[in-house]
Amino acid sequence: MSVTRINVGPVHPSTHGVFRMVVDVDGDTVLGVEPHIGFLHRGVEKLVENRMYLQCPPYMEKLDYIAPMAMGDSYISVVEKALGVEVKPKAQYVRLILLELQRIASHLLWLGTLCNDIGQMFTGFMWGFRDRDIILRLLEDATGQRMFYVNMRLGGLVRDLPADFEEHALKTLDYLEGRLADYTDLLEKNPIFMERMKGIGILKAEDAKDLGVTGPVLRASGVSYDVRKNNPYYAYAALNFRPAIQGSGDNFARYKVRMLEMAESIRLVREAFKRMPDGDATGMQIRLITPKAQNRISTVSRECPRGEQFLYLVADPQKAYRFSIRSPTFINLAALSHISKGQRFADIIAILGTLDLVMGDVDK
Amino acid sequence: MSINSIYGLFVSGLSSSNPLTFLVSVVAYAIIIMVIMSVFAYLFGWVERKLIAKAQYRHGPTYVGKFGILQNLADLIKLIAKEKMVPSNANRILFALAPQILVAMATLLILLLPFSPTLQATNLGVGLLAIFVILGFTPILLFIAAFSSGNKFADISGQRSVLLLISYELPMMLVIASVALIANGYNLQHIIAGQSKFAYAFIMPIGLFIFFVTMLAELERTPFDLREADSELIAGWLTDMSAPYYALSLLLDYTRMFLGGLLIAILFFGGWSGPLLPPAAWLVIKAFLIALFIIIIRVTLVRMRIDRVLRFGWAWLIPLALINLVLTYVLFG
Amino acid sequence: MKIERNFLKPKMAEMKKEGFDYLVKITAVDYVTYVEAVYVIRNIDKDTEMLLEVDLDPSDLWLPTMLPIYKASDWYERELQEMFGIEIKGRRARRLLLEKWDGKEYPLRKSFKWNAPYATSE
Repeated sequence: MSVTRINVGPVHPSTHGVFRMVVDVDGDTVLGVEPHIGFLHRGVEKLVENRMYLQCPPYMEKLDYIAPMAMGDSYISVVEKALGVEVKPKAQYVRLILLELQRIASHLLWLGTLCNDIGQMFTGFMWGFRDRDIILRLLEDATGQRMFYVNMRLGGLVRDLPADFEEHALKTLDYLEGRLADYTDLLEKNPIFMERMKGIGILKAEDAKDLGVTGPVLRASGVSYDVRKNNPYYAYAALNFRPAIQGSGDNFARYKVRMLEMAESIRLVREAFKRMPDGDATGMQIRLITPKAQNRISTVSRECPRGEQFLYLVADPQKAYRFSIRSPTFINLAALSHISKGQRFADIIAILGTLDLVMGDVDK
Repeated sequence: MSINSIYGLFVSGLSSSNPLTFLVSVVAYAIIIMVIMSVFAYLFGWVERKLIAKAQYRHGPTYVGKFGILQNLADLIKLIAKEKMVPSNANRILFALAPQILVAMATLLILLLPFSPTLQATNLGVGLLAIFVILGFTPILLFIAAFSSGNKFADISGQRSVLLLISYELPMMLVIASVALIANGYNLQHIIAGQSKFAYAFIMPIGLFIFFVTMLAELERTPFDLREADSELIAGWLTDMSAPYYALSLLLDYTRMFLGGLLIAILFFGGWSGPLLPPAAWLVIKAFLIALFIIIIRVTLVRMRIDRVLRFGWAWLIPLALINLVLTYVLFG
Repeated sequence: MKIERNFLKPKMAEMKKEGFDYLVKITAVDYVTYVEAVYVIRNIDKDTEMLLEVDLDPSDLWLPTMLPIYKASDWYERELQEMFGIEIKGRRARRLLLEKWDGKEYPLRKSFKWNAPYATSE
């Protein structure tokens, strides 16, 4: 047995940012993977401690730059909880719609990079990017920004949805539904794709719980936990939301969960438009939070596209005393060495692809 | 002197028994082939970029020249103008020589192929065998090239190259044997002449399928592009290649693609035979279309895993190739 | 729920048996006079969450490892070591989580001068 130690990254085509791992291989079989992180560490937790509450959403959004709105939302939620601010009824729906659109956009990008990781010549990647861009245009309509929205305010949003947003969004969703069928055709009818996905990188349910993985990775292992269902926030309780669960815990299950989630998000947005109450969705127009927080310690769980983000806030007047983020990708990446033991070298890349990493979120 | 008479002189030189005349003609022929090959590689590189772009809702090159046709020239100039770097732990001589030998070998192979009834460097009785003997060397040279760069990714890529060789070489030889069985020999001209009524593609579609798949593996194109697997091995054996060598390797890639197209066209689609157009044009057109098909596969499929490729080769291709051989023997033998 | 450091490990093992089989997060807060480590565990089937808090004396910063109970604690414990200087006892010493961090100052402690230029070891 001859062990070769290979260094992958920090600059490598498929590490999704600056991520380095040291892989020990015997021939093509992986003996161990040691992830090295921290190349994108910006100390957001410390920064938040030293800034006013409303100065922080931009920092938060740069954590998971693929789904910035979800990050900004979870931050505002924890501040709202600390201050005891209620979210307006209409804003609950508007936030849900925007977040679900953001989820679709994020999953589309993931799909693209996955195709790339398992060796397709950028076709899936370009398709994914193109369709994601259509959603980004929608979000731009709603928020005025393409990527870093910073559109959440205490109790609501910076501004209500534009008048023709619903029409545009529904049209886009119809288009996306057709595209999802295209993706399924392109990939699932392809025996080589299925061969690369099925039975590879299996994570059993008990291991998944033990390793603390979250989001689609957890649900792909057959553990039914989705914050939107189990601990609903915003209008998720009112809507008929069904989490996507798969049992096998392999690459294909992780792929399928995200595909089903996209379909479910499309359905949710449509339903939310139907049930949206009238009223005002704009939040408080304040620059400086002076009132004393009601709760010294508040926690919030939000189902971000990559998994559950858990925030722990120790509040002081005006700024946080301590702010702790549990990044979904951080803990999913921690499971990498467990999943990839005994797999082929080529499959590590596929497993990395299905774990859906964003290094900004991992490193904080 | 008209063009026809030069051509006649040239062709008679190729079949001349005077070694000096022969040598001069062959060298002239090789230069012509090199030019054709470079033009093919250049145009095909452009077509590939445009086609892939089309499949991906992009535009591809647009700015340099009409429809971006000069983009590849610009890239080539850039690549050649860059610094030649050899990694410190690489074997300097092998590292620099390997891509050049590889290109030379691919060109040599094209010289052996018939572009018309008379246009061929030398009409060997065992032409087909000779080609596959030389072709079989390529992965080994690739392995040496990969090994010489002293990079671990290149190392893995070289190992994969050899593993691939094990999985596809045998079915490919079996298909060649069945082609030889129908054509009563390994002479390429005979093989083409044998297809005057029906192309072998119609006589043995299984053989064509196997040959096409093994050719994809030989050319290391998707889904068998394990040697360059960019998402895993960065660029495989090219990881440490600096720009001029990389340009050579690109030339090699397209030359080999051209070669693959030519071989399939000769063995299964009647080679140079065709109405109206001159024979050489027919052959090139056929090769071009086959190469286009390889590109379409490239944009659609994902990469196979090396152990699966081995299993695919031994569990599916070899039995299929044997069935093909037996069928051919029973029906035409 | 506040808990003594010495009882933490048996308590966690007990909670895991009771169905709290999912570790959400291990974090810590530096309250200057004491450092509080927070363990967030969850019962996935019953949707209940629990916060276990351990107060630590800044002069005696260590915690027992939770690795035998929750594998998820691996990276969180390394994070605590690196960011708070809390020594985790009972586990194989591993390198710190982030690269290029000499681990002499602990960035998430309140004593860390965050705006001052940080003297790197290089």
